[in-house]
Amino acid sequence: MSVTSIARAVRVPGLIPPYTPTGDEIAVFELAYRNRLPVLIKGPTGCGKTRFVEHMAARLGRALYTVSCHDDLSASDLVGRHLIDASGTYWTDGPLTQAVRHGGICYLDEVVEARKDTTVVLHALSDDRRILPIDRTGEILEAPPEFMLVVSYNPGYQHLLKGLKPSTRQRFVSLAFGFPEAAREAEIVATESGVDPATAKRLVTLANALRSTADHDLEEAPGTRLIVDAAKLIAGGCDPQVACRAAIVECLSDEPEITRALMVVVLAIFGN
Amino acid sequence: MEEQVGIAWHRLINRLAARRFPEAAVELASVSRDAALLFRALGGDHGVAVQAGAQTLHGARRSLLERLAGSARKVDLAWVDRQALQLPPLIDAFPATSLNRDLYFWLAALCAVDPQPHLPWLARNQAAVLTITRGYPGLAASYGRLVEAEIARRPPISKLAPDEAQQEQAIRAALRKPGSVAALPAARRPPHPVLLWLRPELPAKGKKPHPDKSPDQPSQAASALQSDKKRRLAEHTEMPERKGGLLIFRPESIFSWTEYAKVEHETKENEDQDLAQAADDLDVIAIAQDRRNIAKKLSMTLDLPVAEGDDTPLDGNRMLPEWDYRTHTLKADRCRVNTIPLTDAKPCALPEHLKRDQQRLRRQFGALLPVRLRLKAQPEGNDIDIDPYIRHLAHNAGAETRFYLDQRKRERDLACLLLADLSLSTEAWVGEERRVIDVIRDSLFLFSEALSVTRDRFALYGFSSQQRTDVRFHTLKTFNEPYDDTVRGRINSISPAYYTRMGAAIRHATEILGRQKARERLLLLLTDGKPNDADLYEGRYGIEDTRKALIAARQQGLRPFCVTVDQEAHEYLPHIFGKNNFIIIHKPSELPSRLPLLYAQLTR
Ligand SMILES: Nc1ncnc2c1ncn2[C@@H]1O[C@H](COP(=O)(O)OP(=O)(O)OP(=O)(O)O)[C@@H](O)[C@H]1O
Ligand SMILES: [Mg+2]
Repeated sequence: MSVTSIARAVRVPGLIPPYTPTGDEIAVFELAYRNRLPVLIKGPTGCGKTRFVEHMAARLGRALYTVSCHDDLSASDLVGRHLIDASGTYWTDGPLTQAVRHGGICYLDEVVEARKDTTVVLHALSDDRRILPIDRTGEILEAPPEFMLVVSYNPGYQHLLKGLKPSTRQRFVSLAFGFPEAAREAEIVATESGVDPATAKRLVTLANALRSTADHDLEEAPGTRLIVDAAKLIAGGCDPQVACRAAIVECLSDEPEITRALMVVVLAIFGN
Repeated sequence: MEEQVGIAWHRLINRLAARRFPEAAVELASVSRDAALLFRALGGDHGVAVQAGAQTLHGARRSLLERLAGSARKVDLAWVDRQALQLPPLIDAFPATSLNRDLYFWLAALCAVDPQPHLPWLARNQAAVLTITRGYPGLAASYGRLVEAEIARRPPISKLAPDEAQQEQAIRAALRKPGSVAALPAARRPPHPVLLWLRPELPAKGKKPHPDKSPDQPSQAASALQSDKKRRLAEHTEMPERKGGLLIFRPESIFSWTEYAKVEHETKENEDQDLAQAADDLDVIAIAQDRRNIAKKLSMTLDLPVAEGDDTPLDGNRMLPEWDYRTHTLKADRCRVNTIPLTDAKPCALPEHLKRDQQRLRRQFGALLPVRLRLKAQPEGNDIDIDPYIRHLAHNAGAETRFYLDQRKRERDLACLLLADLSLSTEAWVGEERRVIDVIRDSLFLFSEALSVTRDRFALYGFSSQQRTDVRFHTLKTFNEPYDDTVRGRINSISPAYYTRMGAAIRHATEILGRQKARERLLLLLTDGKPNDADLYEGRYGIEDTRKALIAARQQGLRPFCVTVDQEAHEYLPHIFGKNNFIIIHKPSELPSRLPLLYAQLTR
C-alpha cells in the first residue's frame, strides 16, 4: 500500500463537511487544539467520529492526514521510508511526518488495531515534548503549534488481547461519542440523505428500537451511518421496508433467525 | 353412528362456542423469538423470558352455546412480571393466520411499553395503546385490523343485558378510539375479555398472578399445579442472595444441605458475626420456603455452629493459601484441594440436541484457523522485501541483508483453561425444562466443539467445595488429552454438589494454566453466583479472597475472564474481576451458544 493512498489531505477552503454537535465536543476540541493537546475519540461505529474530525480540520483550516490502522501497519507506514527512482534512493515522508512538517491534523482511525510497537512512535509526539524522531534519517522533527494528533477507537468490543496501554491513553484528551438524541439524529438523517423529516423521524425510532436490543441480540448497535444509508435508499425511491432490510437489518446480523426478528421491528414502524 | 354424530356436534359447538379458528392457529413457539426481540426493542426488560402464560378465569357471561359446551370460561391473556413475558401458548381467536400472528406482536409491544401500569385496567390499556399507535406506525396499522377483528369476535350488543351492553359499548369505544373512555360503567358481570389488552389484575381478593404464594391454597388442576411448581422453582432460584450467603436451593437440596450441616459442625470456635450471617441466610430461605416442614427442619440447623474460624494449617498434597481481608494476611496452607479424576464416566457422543449448533460452530470457527502471515525482512524467503532492500541501497551498507519476504503459518498461540462452577446452586431451574447445570453442561460441550476446530489448546475443570478441607476439583479434560468421547462422557457426568470456594479453585487452576507455555493464557470462569462456602467463606470474605486469587493469576501473566448467569453479578463482579473482564448472560439458556462466540471475540 502506498503512503499516499492511506493519507488523504482535505484542503477545500470554504467547504466544511456538515457536522451536528451533540454536546460540547467542538469547544473541547478547539481548546485542545489551542493548547496543543492530542485528542482521543471513542464511540460505537457510525456515530460520526470521522465526520467530526473532518469537520474540525476544515473549521480550523488545517490539512487532515487520515490513517486507517490495521495490524499490519508498521511504524514506517506512519513515519516514512526510502523509495527508489532512476537517480537512486530518496526519502519520502509518511502521513504522520507530513502532518508534523506542515502543521496539519494527523488522524489515526481505529488505533487499537495497530500493533503496540507502532503506537510507541506517538509517545514523544503526544506529550509536551511534541517531537518526532525519524530513526532512518536521523532527523528529529519538532511539531509546530498547528500540528495536532487525533486518534479514535471503538471500545464496544470486549477484547482481552487488544487495548490501549494506559501510558498511551493517558496522553490524550478523551471525547466519548454516543448516538445523538432522537430529534437531533432525525435532523442529521434528513440533511445527510434528503429524505423527508417524517421518514427521518421514523428511521430514528427504528434505530433506537434496534439499539435497545443491542447488548442482547446484536453484536453492535446500528450507527447513524446505517440509518443515513437506509434514508438515502428511501430518498432514491426505494420501498422503506426493502431499504431497511438491505441497509440496516442485513448489516446487523447474518443469522436468519435474528434478521427475521429484526424485520418484525421494522414492520412495527414501517408496516402498512 | 349416532355417537359419531354426537361427537361431531360437540366439536362443532365447542368450536363455535370458543370462537376458535384452529386452521389459522399460530403457536407461541413459532413466534416467541421474534416477539421477544420486539419486546426488547420497544423497551421491555432484557431480563425476562417469554413464557406461555396460564389461562385466566374471566367470569363474563357465556353464550348458550358456550354453556352447552362447557368451554370458553378460561381465556389466554398477556402480562409481564419480573421473570417472564407471559403470552398465550396458542392464538386462534381470529380467522386469519396473519391476524393471530399480529396479535402476538401486538401483545409483546403492549407489555413492553405499558406506560402507566398502576392505572385501572381500562385507562392503563388505553394509555398503552396510545403510546404504541403514536410511536410505531406499523403497529398502529395492524392495531386497526386487530380492533375490527376483535369487535367482530365480541358478543353482539343486542344480546346483552342493558348494564352489560353499556359496558360493552364503552369497551368498543375504548378500542376504536383509545383514550376516549374515562371509566368502565358498572355491570353485574365483568366485561367479556379483550384479547388486545393486558390481563386485568384480578380484582377479587387482591389475588396476585401467582396464586401459589399462600400456604394453604387449594389445589387447582393437576397440570396447572405442575407448571406452577416449575415457575415457583424458577422464582426461588432468581431470588437475590440477600446477604452474600447461601444460594437458594430447591427444597430437595435443602434436605441434603441440612444433613450436611449436621455432620459438619465439629469445630468449636465460632465467630459471632459469621454465625449471625449464616442465621440471616437461613431466615431468607425459611421465609422463601415457608411451606410444609422445611422451615422447621432448617430452624434446627440454626443452633449449629456452622461458621468455622480455626486457622490450623492442614496437611496434604495440594495445599493452597487463602486471603483473610480482616487481617490482611494470606494464610498459608488453609485449603485442601482434592482432585477428582472422573475415571468411571461412561464415554458418549455429543448429545443429539447440540448437533445443529455443532455444525454452525464448525463453520464459524473455521474462520479462526491459523492464517498465512507475511514475514518481512527475513534473511531468506521466496520474495524480495523492497523496503529493507532500498534501505540497504540508500545506506550503501553491506551489513544488513535481511531483505526477503517469507510466508509462514501464524499459529494462534493460546491456551485456555475453563473452570466451571458445579456447586449446588447450579441445580436451580432456568426454565421449564433445564437447570443451570444442564446449561453449563451444554456450554462445555459446545465450547469444546468450537475449540477443537480452532486447535487452541484447552482444558476443562469443574469445582465445588465443602469447607476448606475439601475443595473438589473435577478433571474433565486436561491440556494433554484430546477432546473425544471419553471427555464427552465426563462432561456428561457432571452434577451439582455443595459450595463455591472460588478463590481456592482459581488458585489451583492458575497453577495448572501457569505451567502451559503459550503466548496468551486465558482463564475462563463459568459461574452462576458469588463465592461462598459453608463456613466463614461468604460475603466479603469470599469476594476478597477470590479477588486476591485473581490478582495473583494476573501477576503470573494469565488473563482471567468470568462468564456468569447471575443477574445480580454487576453488584460484585466488577470488584472481583475488573469492569471489563466479565460478562453477564441475561438468558442462561443462551449460554451454550453464546460462550463459543464470546471466546472467539475475546481471542480474535
Ligand atoms: N453528528 C453528525 N453530524 C453529521 N453527520 C453525522 C453525524 N453523525 C453521524 N453522521 C453521519 O453518519 C455517517 C457515519 O459517520 P462516521 O463515518 O463519522 O462514523 P464513525 O464514527 O467514524 O464510524 P466508524 O467507527 O465505523 O469509522 C456520516 O457519513 C454522516 O453521514
Ligand atoms: Mg470512522
